[in-house]
Amino acid sequence: MKRLIRIYKPFTRAGLLEMVAYRVNFIFFLLGEIMKCFVMFFVWKAVFDSSVEPTLHGFTYDNMVVYIFITFLSGYITYSDGSYVVGKEILDGSIAMRMIKPVNFDMCFLFQELGGKILQLLIVFLPITVGVEAYRWIANGVFMMNIPMFFVYFLSLLLAYGINFFFNVIYGFLAFYLKNLWGTDIIKGVIVGFLSGATVPLAFMGAFGEAIGFLPFASLSYTPVMIYMGMYSAGEIIFYMGLQIVWLLVFAVTSRLVLNSAMKRLVVHGG
Amino acid sequence: MKSDIMIQVRNLKKEFKKAIKEPGLKGSFKALFKPEYEIVKAVDDISFDVKRGEIIGFIGPNGAGKSTVIKMLTGILTPTSGECRIDGKIPTENRKDYVKEIGVVFGQRTQLWWDLALRETYMVLKEIYEIPEEDYKERMAFLNQVLELDDFITSPVRTLSLGQRMRADIAASLLHNPKVLFLDEPTIGLDVVVKDNIRKAIQKISEESGTTVILTTHDLEDIELLCKRIVMIDKGKKVFDGELSELRRRYGQMRELGFELRNVDDIAKLTYKEDFAFSDDDLSIERSGSNVKVRFNSDVVSVEKMLSYTLSKVHVKDVNCKDADIEEIIRRLYLGGGEAQ
Amino acid sequence: MFRYMRLHKIFIKQDLKKLMEYKVDFLLGAVGFLLEQAVQIFCLGIIFASIPALVYRENGVVQDSWIFNEVLFIYGFSLIPKGIDHLFFDNLWGLGYWIVDKGDFDKYLTRPVYSWFYVLCEKFCVDALGEIIVGVALIIYSTLTMPMEVASAINWWRVLPVLAVMPFCIMIFTSVKTATAAISFWTKRSGHITHMCYMTNDFAKYPAKIYNVFVKTVITYILPFALTAYYPAIFILRGESWWSLPVTVLVSVVLFAVSQFIWNKGISSYESAGS
Repeated sequence: MKRLIRIYKPFTRAGLLEMVAYRVNFIFFLLGEIMKCFVMFFVWKAVFDSSVEPTLHGFTYDNMVVYIFITFLSGYITYSDGSYVVGKEILDGSIAMRMIKPVNFDMCFLFQELGGKILQLLIVFLPITVGVEAYRWIANGVFMMNIPMFFVYFLSLLLAYGINFFFNVIYGFLAFYLKNLWGTDIIKGVIVGFLSGATVPLAFMGAFGEAIGFLPFASLSYTPVMIYMGMYSAGEIIFYMGLQIVWLLVFAVTSRLVLNSAMKRLVVHGG
Repeated sequence: MKSDIMIQVRNLKKEFKKAIKEPGLKGSFKALFKPEYEIVKAVDDISFDVKRGEIIGFIGPNGAGKSTVIKMLTGILTPTSGECRIDGKIPTENRKDYVKEIGVVFGQRTQLWWDLALRETYMVLKEIYEIPEEDYKERMAFLNQVLELDDFITSPVRTLSLGQRMRADIAASLLHNPKVLFLDEPTIGLDVVVKDNIRKAIQKISEESGTTVILTTHDLEDIELLCKRIVMIDKGKKVFDGELSELRRRYGQMRELGFELRNVDDIAKLTYKEDFAFSDDDLSIERSGSNVKVRFNSDVVSVEKMLSYTLSKVHVKDVNCKDADIEEIIRRLYLGGGEAQ
Repeated sequence: MFRYMRLHKIFIKQDLKKLMEYKVDFLLGAVGFLLEQAVQIFCLGIIFASIPALVYRENGVVQDSWIFNEVLFIYGFSLIPKGIDHLFFDNLWGLGYWIVDKGDFDKYLTRPVYSWFYVLCEKFCVDALGEIIVGVALIIYSTLTMPMEVASAINWWRVLPVLAVMPFCIMIFTSVKTATAAISFWTKRSGHITHMCYMTNDFAKYPAKIYNVFVKTVITYILPFALTAYYPAIFILRGESWWSLPVTVLVSVVLFAVSQFIWNKGISSYESAGS
């Protein structure tokens, strides 16, 4: 473990430095994305104002506000694109330069991305979580945050990030074989966004939503968010986090297989 | 009667603000909260004139400010102070009118459209410069003949070789028959044959159309073949302005004698300065391990004498002698900057 | 002016040719876009399935309400000026993301064409046709399936003044992009600022009354995207907010002037690359 940290620390540092260098861009981009949350915030407010029932599909308005922001936050924190670089470097052959070093190259990208995440946790995760909790506190008059549950949420978030990372490694290869990133990227974004419940909670979709809940996409954000909100019972938490672990293993193994087969091709081509 | 002066540059200055960043993580964080800046003088008080129809070479080491001057003359950058006038016009003042009278080629990046066939590129430029059909045909025929564009005029720009692309770029910059042509490193990265073709073409164009040409380059041969006069700048200041022959006469006689000593301690036996009475300007010795480089003025002492002197004093493994390159001349000019001006 | 249009035509022809070359790319992009719109509308449908109509209350009293068809109509309308701007003036994104950063802006300054026009006309973004088509389709679908009492409020003559104002709606998008892209002349990159400002147009897809005073002011006067969607759409639907049409002209002209001012200031501070 110590050795692992020593080897990959420089990559984490590099990721962090890169994030610092692009800080202005990243903050503005973030603000643009948060704008979408506020649009949904107002739309749901109007929707709840329009409804005779105080709850819709088990969600109160306050639940919904928390849902919007925590979903955004979870999606943002678990976002992964270092994998892109893996696919690209393999196809253009520059991966060879990394293979001669005694490190596991997908791990390099993982740790590099984690470096950036450190800063994101500080300037994105912290303020938004504090903001959401302050909102809940004021809206309900009681401090709602459940600290042990928060740690479970965080654990689930880590699993989600792992799934996303390996999912993207696999996707990266597909996209590079298809040669079009822009188009497939939109398609991927829409499918993932919809099936993970980022646009509308899966609970709103009835039996269809329940079925979607078993797909890996729900593991990406719906599961951690529902845990955060305390919408899951202990049994459900164990079940859905178990599902997350299963998906993590499936994707990790698959991505390894894809990587290995691509590496073989690389050797055959003599790149 | 129009004035004989085409380009007039007076006390031109350009300053840039540059962020200072200390190395490492700590430096990054410091820059995050308290960024510090320094003022960099890229061009510092430069003045010169260029006559109508003249081809001048604009030279200097990397980062000397050549490109910055060219970018101010072409209206891309606004000077911090001072002014330049081209045929009486100030570049940044009425840009649209002004740029009709100049053509610009940057060797490092094309100004053509990557996906367009070359012929279509020229059609677009015809629209942009509002060139009448008749003039366009005539001009195209001339450029075709000088630059031999026919072989690749229907190919998309992205498929052209570097040499073809350069010819295409030069043609594009001349389509509207500009009074002044700016060429920034036109032969960079090209092989000897292609370089030669391009030089010949530039010469022909200047002769036949009377175009004033400003050429920046690292290649001394470009200068020798094309320019009578050169302006040299270093660290933003003008260090030489005059005929090429003048430069040669004054500084071109530098030679470099390089050899490897069998016995490192022998270096003490080589007392060039004392034995030949060289002045400081005319001699410099550089040593690393057993390798020695002696730069000297061959007007003071001939190469033959230096060589026989050296061989008689010490045992050498290997020996070579070459002309001083442009960087060397510039280095010397910079050292003796005051005198050169 | 005609010269610019002729130039633009050349580049449009070129981009159409390129489209034929990269058919798969275009197809994937189009499928992705349509899927995105379909999902958004599907989600809107899910939301509306649990309520009869979207209402706006003040102190608990219902002030205004919109049925699903009306919301779809507004949503569809919002895509049209956005799509037209996207179709013709997409190159401004490139300016803030990479053109200035890589030093490629130099060439725009060495041509006898106003640099802003030159940047604008160099690219034609065919993908945007999807936006316009979906927008028109939504408007048609929502009106055809409207209940009688809502449909009868529509006076199609009102489309004429809206069409007259349409160029100014497009100008709002173009000006916001211009002003924010021009920031890159100082900072090298400003695409993310453009992204941030552009994203506020998401607010304009829904009735402006559901927002608080702050948001409403911003999207009506500062980044006035509501003027490009909600107001003209509701004017066609119900004849409400007729005042927004002259305001659109006024605000867009001011915004345009400001964006041009920033652009020209930026050009004189442009530092090129290298040095």
